[in-house]
Amino acid sequence: MAAIDIRAVDKSFQKLKVLHSVDLSIDKGEFIVLVGPSGCGKSTLLRMIAGLEEVTGGEIVIGGKRVNDLPPKERNLAMVFQSYALYPHMTVAGNMSYSLRLRKIAKEKIATAVAGAADILGLAPLVERRPRQLSGGQRQRVAMGRAIVREPQAFLWDEPLSNLDARLREQMRAEIKKLHRRLGATSIYVTHDQIEAMTLADRIVAMEAGTIQQIGSPEDLYERPANRFVAGFIGSPAMNFLDAQAAPANAGHARLVTEDGLTFEAIPGLELPSSRQLTIGIRPEHVLLGEAAGEGAKEATVDLVEPTGMGAIVHFRFADISHQAYHLGRASWRAGDSVKVALPTERLHLFDATDGRRLN
Amino acid sequence: MTASASLEQAQPDRRPLKRLGLRVEPYLYSAPAVIIVATVMLVPLVIGMTYAFRDIRLLNPFSGGFVGLDNFRRLAADGDFYLALKNTVFWTAASVFFQFTLGLILALLLNRPFAGRGIAQALVFLPWAVPSFLSGLDWAWLFNPVVGPIPHWLTALGVMSQPENILSDPDLAMWGPIVANVWWGIPFFAITMLAALQSIPADIYEAASIDGAGPFERFRAITLPFLAPTIAIAVLLRTVWIANFADLIVVMTNGGPADRTQIVASYIFTTAFRRLDFGYASAIAMVLLVLLMIYSLLIVILRQTLLARA
Ligand SMILES: Nc1ncnc2c1ncn2[C@@H]1O[C@H](COP(=O)(O)OP(=O)(O)OP(=O)(O)O)[C@@H](O)[C@H]1O
Ligand SMILES: [Mg+2]
Repeated sequence: MAAIDIRAVDKSFQKLKVLHSVDLSIDKGEFIVLVGPSGCGKSTLLRMIAGLEEVTGGEIVIGGKRVNDLPPKERNLAMVFQSYALYPHMTVAGNMSYSLRLRKIAKEKIATAVAGAADILGLAPLVERRPRQLSGGQRQRVAMGRAIVREPQAFLWDEPLSNLDARLREQMRAEIKKLHRRLGATSIYVTHDQIEAMTLADRIVAMEAGTIQQIGSPEDLYERPANRFVAGFIGSPAMNFLDAQAAPANAGHARLVTEDGLTFEAIPGLELPSSRQLTIGIRPEHVLLGEAAGEGAKEATVDLVEPTGMGAIVHFRFADISHQAYHLGRASWRAGDSVKVALPTERLHLFDATDGRRLN
Repeated sequence: MTASASLEQAQPDRRPLKRLGLRVEPYLYSAPAVIIVATVMLVPLVIGMTYAFRDIRLLNPFSGGFVGLDNFRRLAADGDFYLALKNTVFWTAASVFFQFTLGLILALLLNRPFAGRGIAQALVFLPWAVPSFLSGLDWAWLFNPVVGPIPHWLTALGVMSQPENILSDPDLAMWGPIVANVWWGIPFFAITMLAALQSIPADIYEAASIDGAGPFERFRAITLPFLAPTIAIAVLLRTVWIANFADLIVVMTNGGPADRTQIVASYIFTTAFRRLDFGYASAIAMVLLVLLMIYSLLIVILRQTLLARA
């Protein structure tokens, strides 16, 4: 039985419809990450699960029980807010123990639970402080501590790391992952940070404009994006796209011709009607440059080279369209140089030009 | 500026007039304000305080001499004064309590969204704009069975056996001005509490409701601690204000019946402007001033210790 079942859920704010028939079934102990551009409805979905927003249509089932009309306190969930939402007039220990105190749990048990959580999160020396006497990272830990002292049916996280600096974010990301291993609790995590999504998720839910575009493991979404939106959204630097047309078949295999005259002896087994419009996608890290491009490579002009330390992002142009390649290691090209470029056929993603559906 | 300053340093004795001008400049600028404050406030205050040690009765041409502490000795033995002091405590405590409680409830209601909230907010703040003198007259009429509906309503509800004017009932008379004062003063608390409520972040309430807090618990654990500093200041200000506030009483009951609604402030007013005994009135006023200062000091100390602990 699924821990959380979201069935055909709709949400409107007055006339504005922000979620369209969302279906999602979450297994016990699973770590689900919701990603999508700003305003696509991730927080709204999370808040509906928490009980902070009313459900306009459909139903939400937690632990086998329909919770549409249940207030938040009866859903037994824990949530970590982007702003942390700590109680400013309570100490760290007070913040963490509040939910337990409300449940009238014995004092000794509360003390043990708080001490345990404080230990896990490295907050032990700070338990008597108040939130305003803490740094941003420490506050974030208190917010996590408040969630883990009890045993909720699920953890809800709404961009918990977005107010931290890059370094701290990496560190907390790893801690969240460890915490999840240790507690094994069902989690739903909202972020628009790609790396958080890829590293934390058992399954990623990619959303756009209130609809789910794809649900799958991080590898699935990366290697076989279901449509053009997911392909462009997952991965950084983003996938390159080229408009193309299917040309008359050559020995049973469709041939593809791009606008600037590149031809691909296309992917075996793909049958396409001739002159069908489509979009070819290729990830920057799969573009081969220079020597690696080998025989039959095209000439392109380097626009810009952005070293990232581990490698470099090379911007180049075919005809007049700019693309990016990720080159591992040191890049010796400079802006204005000409460079050999190859796009390996087996790495191509093909999408319908009109509805963006994946074709291969 | 720098140029002229270095010029002066170089030639210290050349232009003494300019140096003098620069030195008195700040005093010249602030002089008008200082003179006005001194003439209309400080001087009368000091003169008024000296009255407490003099025998000043407007209708007695032989009065005016210094009498030392005679006025205070008379005050110490004045039963009317003690009655007024007792009435003041009751008047102030009841008025502040109801103004605060109802003002807070109103603020809580106005803090949640509903259609027409803007208009409701504007209406709620209207009593504040009515002059206290006018609202006193209004309420006196409302309580008067000849022209006002309230006694008839109370009779219909069975609270009263027949429509009478509570303002002429010695046991109930104080409630008349208190009701008027509560009506008139609610907006003050509603405005200040609403402003404080609106500064509480909504996600803290959300976090609490997920932690398992119901509406009452959220009020206790979040709203009250957030409001506490504002409540302390508002209650302090209001208490001092109401203890000094004689308008409604003078207009509605004039201290009667049988001095049962006489508070210290209205007693001062009556002594000074009806009996024209300014010396004695001034002595009472000084005692009231000292009492209110002690009260304020205690509240401030209390607030400081509470804040220091928080
Ligand atoms: N209380 C509200 N009233 C009206 N519209 C709202 C309300 N809350 C959210 N919306 C709208 O619903 C849509 C989805 O908002 P939501 O906060 O879920 O986006 P999000 O995916 O979390 O975005 P972000 O990544 O920026 O946090 C947005 O268009 C937003 O304007
Ligand atoms: Mg959001």
